[in-house]
Amino acid sequence: MKSGSNLEKVILSGQPAVTAELGPPMGADPHEVIKKAQLLRGFCDAANITDCQTAVVRMSSISAAVLALSEGLEPVTQMTCRDRNRIAMQADLLGAAALGLKNCLCLAGDHQKFSAAGKLKGHPGAKNVYDVDTVQLVGILKKMRDEGLQEGGDKLEAAPKFFIGASWTPMGDPIDFRPINLLKKVNAGADFIQTQGIYDIELFRSQMEKIHKMGLHERTAILGGIIVPKSAMMLKYMDSSVAGVSVPKKLIERMNKAKEAAGDDKKKAREFQEAEGIKLTVELIHQVLETPGVKGVHIQAIEWESAIEGIVKAAGLYPRPSV
Amino acid sequence: MIVGSQKPIEEIWDMVKDSKKVLVFGCNTCIAVCHAGGDKEAETIAMMLRMRASQEGKNIEVKHFSVMRHCEPEYFVPVMEEVKKYDLVLSTACGVGVNFLSERIGDVPVYPGVNTSFYGGVPASGVFTELCGGCGDCVLHLTGGICPIVRCSKSLMNGPCGGTKDGKCEVSDEIDCAWYLIVERMKKLGTLDKLAEIQPPRNWSSSAHGGPRRIVVEHLQELEQKEDNKG
Amino acid sequence: MSSVQTADKDNYLKRIAETKNKRPYSPCRAACPVNTDAQAYVGLIAQGRYNEAFEVITAPNPIASVCSLICHHPCEQACRRCTVDEPLAIRHLKRFALEKALDYRHSRRKPVKKTKGKSIGIIGSGPSGLAAANDLANLGYDVTIYERHPMLGGMLSSTIPPYRLPRKTLQEDIEDVISKGVEVKTNCEIGKDITINDITAKHDAVIIAAGLSLSRSLNIPGVEGEGVVLAIPFLTDVSFGKKLDLGSKVLVIGGGNVAMDVARTAKRLGVKNVEMVCLESAEEMPAWKWEVDEAVEEGVSILHRQGPKAVRREGGKVKGLEVLKVISVFDANGRFNPVFDNSQISFIEADNIIITIGQMANLLFLKDSHIQVDERGRVVWDPETHMSSAKGVFVAGEVVTGPGSAIQAVASGHRAAVAAHLYLQGEKIEGALPVYDKEKILPFPTDVVSNIMPEHRAKIHHLPPETRCSSFSHFEFGYDEIEALKEAGRCRGCGSGAVVDTSKCMACLTCQRVCPYGAPKVTAWSEIDPARCQACGLCAPECPAQAISMLSYNTMDIRKTMPSIIGVLDTKREKPVIAAFLCTHHVGVLGFDMPDNIRKVPVHCTSRIDITDLLKAFECGADGVAVVRCPEGSCKYKGVGKRVAARVNRTKELISMLGIDAGRIELFRAGSGNGNSYASVCNEFAERIKEIALRK
Repeated sequence: MKSGSNLEKVILSGQPAVTAELGPPMGADPHEVIKKAQLLRGFCDAANITDCQTAVVRMSSISAAVLALSEGLEPVTQMTCRDRNRIAMQADLLGAAALGLKNCLCLAGDHQKFSAAGKLKGHPGAKNVYDVDTVQLVGILKKMRDEGLQEGGDKLEAAPKFFIGASWTPMGDPIDFRPINLLKKVNAGADFIQTQGIYDIELFRSQMEKIHKMGLHERTAILGGIIVPKSAMMLKYMDSSVAGVSVPKKLIERMNKAKEAAGDDKKKAREFQEAEGIKLTVELIHQVLETPGVKGVHIQAIEWESAIEGIVKAAGLYPRPSV
Repeated sequence: MIVGSQKPIEEIWDMVKDSKKVLVFGCNTCIAVCHAGGDKEAETIAMMLRMRASQEGKNIEVKHFSVMRHCEPEYFVPVMEEVKKYDLVLSTACGVGVNFLSERIGDVPVYPGVNTSFYGGVPASGVFTELCGGCGDCVLHLTGGICPIVRCSKSLMNGPCGGTKDGKCEVSDEIDCAWYLIVERMKKLGTLDKLAEIQPPRNWSSSAHGGPRRIVVEHLQELEQKEDNKG
Repeated sequence: MSSVQTADKDNYLKRIAETKNKRPYSPCRAACPVNTDAQAYVGLIAQGRYNEAFEVITAPNPIASVCSLICHHPCEQACRRCTVDEPLAIRHLKRFALEKALDYRHSRRKPVKKTKGKSIGIIGSGPSGLAAANDLANLGYDVTIYERHPMLGGMLSSTIPPYRLPRKTLQEDIEDVISKGVEVKTNCEIGKDITINDITAKHDAVIIAAGLSLSRSLNIPGVEGEGVVLAIPFLTDVSFGKKLDLGSKVLVIGGGNVAMDVARTAKRLGVKNVEMVCLESAEEMPAWKWEVDEAVEEGVSILHRQGPKAVRREGGKVKGLEVLKVISVFDANGRFNPVFDNSQISFIEADNIIITIGQMANLLFLKDSHIQVDERGRVVWDPETHMSSAKGVFVAGEVVTGPGSAIQAVASGHRAAVAAHLYLQGEKIEGALPVYDKEKILPFPTDVVSNIMPEHRAKIHHLPPETRCSSFSHFEFGYDEIEALKEAGRCRGCGSGAVVDTSKCMACLTCQRVCPYGAPKVTAWSEIDPARCQACGLCAPECPAQAISMLSYNTMDIRKTMPSIIGVLDTKREKPVIAAFLCTHHVGVLGFDMPDNIRKVPVHCTSRIDITDLLKAFECGADGVAVVRCPEGSCKYKGVGKRVAARVNRTKELISMLGIDAGRIELFRAGSGNGNSYASVCNEFAERIKEIALRK
């Protein structure tokens, strides 16, 4: 056992792992986190606590993670390379470990320009850091855990014991390079991988085949990313605008049909689409889990944490194992 | 080449409006090549400032002239006496020139007329692209000659982030994803496998993060000192 | 364009001369025996700057008016437009400019102060004598010309027929020279009215420019006696109004230009049948082709390849000429060495025969002087110093160079004058005399030729042959202004284009990217190939270091003169003041009659307008700026439209930053013909500006 986290244990047990996602609030109210934690508790093995995703200032991942932990939800702390240099990262992670956090997901982080979207002003003029990148951060965490050394080489009196994760976009451009990308993360020390949302199961499987050949599925636990679709519009948007995500036409058509079935009733249209979205998600979960080399799913119900319970149950993944 | 662009005239006007005698001092090297601060642009700015002053009913004398470079004393020393006659010098050199001149001009303020942007190439007339970040520790041999430090929006060293779409960067579809270019280039060169090697965290001390940099070509500097001693 | 401008002579000539002289010459200039800068004056004519053109024309040539009518114009033969379509009508443009600048010309005649305190005597007042007199008077010498005829000009007044050179025209050139304070002694023949020794004694230096005043004769039976005359006495008699009876058939022996003069003069004297006989074939004849064509038009017939054998007389009266067939005129080495077929004799009837086979000097007046004449009857001289065997006695013109053109004699006159001047100043002459053999610009590369729009040469009109033979009136019409401007606009400005100041150039490649003709080559700095440069001026305003200047105009001129063009604005003005940048090409200059509120800024091509020029107009207070290009499809340069539009747009951007309405500057097209005239375009624009409001 590297970290002794619940997530690590579930994965070691050989049962499909389930992670979910919890977005911290744009404010200092702990109840927002507590409320979401209660919604997720019991329906996943661990939940990612996002680190200022889309570069929007939110309650920090570590503090929200501590709040979640206190509610009995195991958190996966996220750490982006965008906002901290290696000094701040290591310091924060030492603190995170001290506070009882056991999972850490390393990410590059969305560019600060994303923070100005919709009604938000964000901080597009912020200076980013990128002192190290994801691969390097994974390496730093591993060095801290396994060698008890800081990146610079100084000794740590007590090593932080993290279950180290990294993100992976299996179907992003340049697609030939994506397996190498994963290889580097695994070589650097990633214990688990959460992928970008998968809709195009065929393409995902063809990428996984390469991973299989490289033997990477045995060296790391790959959790396939599932983004719960809420509407046809969301699917279309993700297909056209989100890097590394392509949505097959037939899925969009299914959502469209659900929408059309409601006629002019907007409320019904939303309900129908949400229901279809959950149905679709359950199907995707099965398809992903059936893909050789996949060890679990990472279900993201963005600002829709309440959907997780139903999804996990419908997918036959409830109850979650206690290990 | 250093690339910059002219500051908006209002910003310049705010810098100079309380002076009586302003010199727009052009620099005829890099910043002239990018049509931002050579003699021609210095003349243009001077004219614009005179018109601006007259709109405000202010009596400001604005002249312009240029030297080859503001970043080496030999180029501007011959006109220094003339330059010092002004109460304000608006240098249209890059930031290097403004700094350099500021420290050598005595009491006359030297203000920038140009925003200095980057080291760039000129793919076509009037187009300038950033291609080097001056990081002080070149890795281009590892990346097919395409710089991940400055051409990747996140300076990633081990491959692209998840934001690449159709070969473009997540920041803008007008920016090529450097890693997309690197991968394509290294495929062509047959060296893609090299990218599997992990690049460890960089030592940024050779870059601006290590504090202002100074390079001394020892044998030349020594020579100069010897000459000085003789004199 | 009616207004008479002043010529900024010193400025223009001085500014360009220094640089231009160091660079390869335009082919027209290099071809001129005195290196007249034809490109420069043609360019000035195209801009309607006739007085300045006059200055350029007359600077090296005191017989410019003469040359404007009779010059054999090697400049035209050398013109690079020959490879595109036809050469510029340079001679004819010269005539036009001189006629246009006549008032100006008269106004500037004034005596030159005699500052040198030395006197020079010049024998002969032909082209070389006049040139020397002119130069030396300019230098402040006291100059006296001795001329045996009643009028100055030498051959110009005594033998060139007036239908080719009206004496009034010749007189303009002569007046220019003598108005400087040159003393003239006409009807003064050396050896008769005064001796050479008197002259050498009287002056500190003497220049012998006596020309070739004797006609050569033939040594054949029957040549002596009435009915056979020599060319020079014949032409001189006609020139000075002597009545001659030539019968009904005249035979002219010879195939040179003087023979043509003689034949055509005989025609004008009423001789019905004028025939010429010469050794050469039509191709071999030494006369200029256009002279032959004009003679033939007038009804002169030419018998080729016949050599005179004997004049046949009956009772002393000429009956005709026996001729032999010519087998060849030149030997294998190209030397004149005629071979006859003695078996083929024919006979040509004639009442009178005029022999026109060449001239020689008459040096009898040098007898009893220190000036040596060699055994072949030529003055002994040193071409390096132009000095004869006698100290202080110089020689100039055909008397030593042999027969040539008038302008070649002028070149010789210049050299002799400088020689005399150096001698009198005690300076070394060798190596210090002007040399006119200059490096010239290479021909247009073929890709450049294909980038030049063909434009036909403006036709030169003549009196019809039937009319012109009835008098000695000048037979050629001058260009009118439209024709002249159009013709001058054809000039490609060889050698007057872009020059890079290498101390400013940082090799940015802008010029190389801008030039449609591939002229700039940038290495360590930009070098502009004069063989390619069309002097369009497109590059200079784009140069970020302002390192490019143009030889044909000052790139700073518009900005410098803008304050005076706009003037002090009346705050109570009712009409908007518009700075109108007008293309002067394609006789556009004639469409520039504008109301007072439209301030004209003539530019030879809008390609030359800089953004700072446009801004300057606003700085000077203009309410609006109009850039008016020539009509669609007529711009004689490539790539101008998009660049000028970009500059106007950039200016819009800049003035907008100052809160000035971008609509205050616009780009238009107009022409001098039908459709939008320059004036109407400008007036309509002024109305629009008035609606925007006048600037405060």
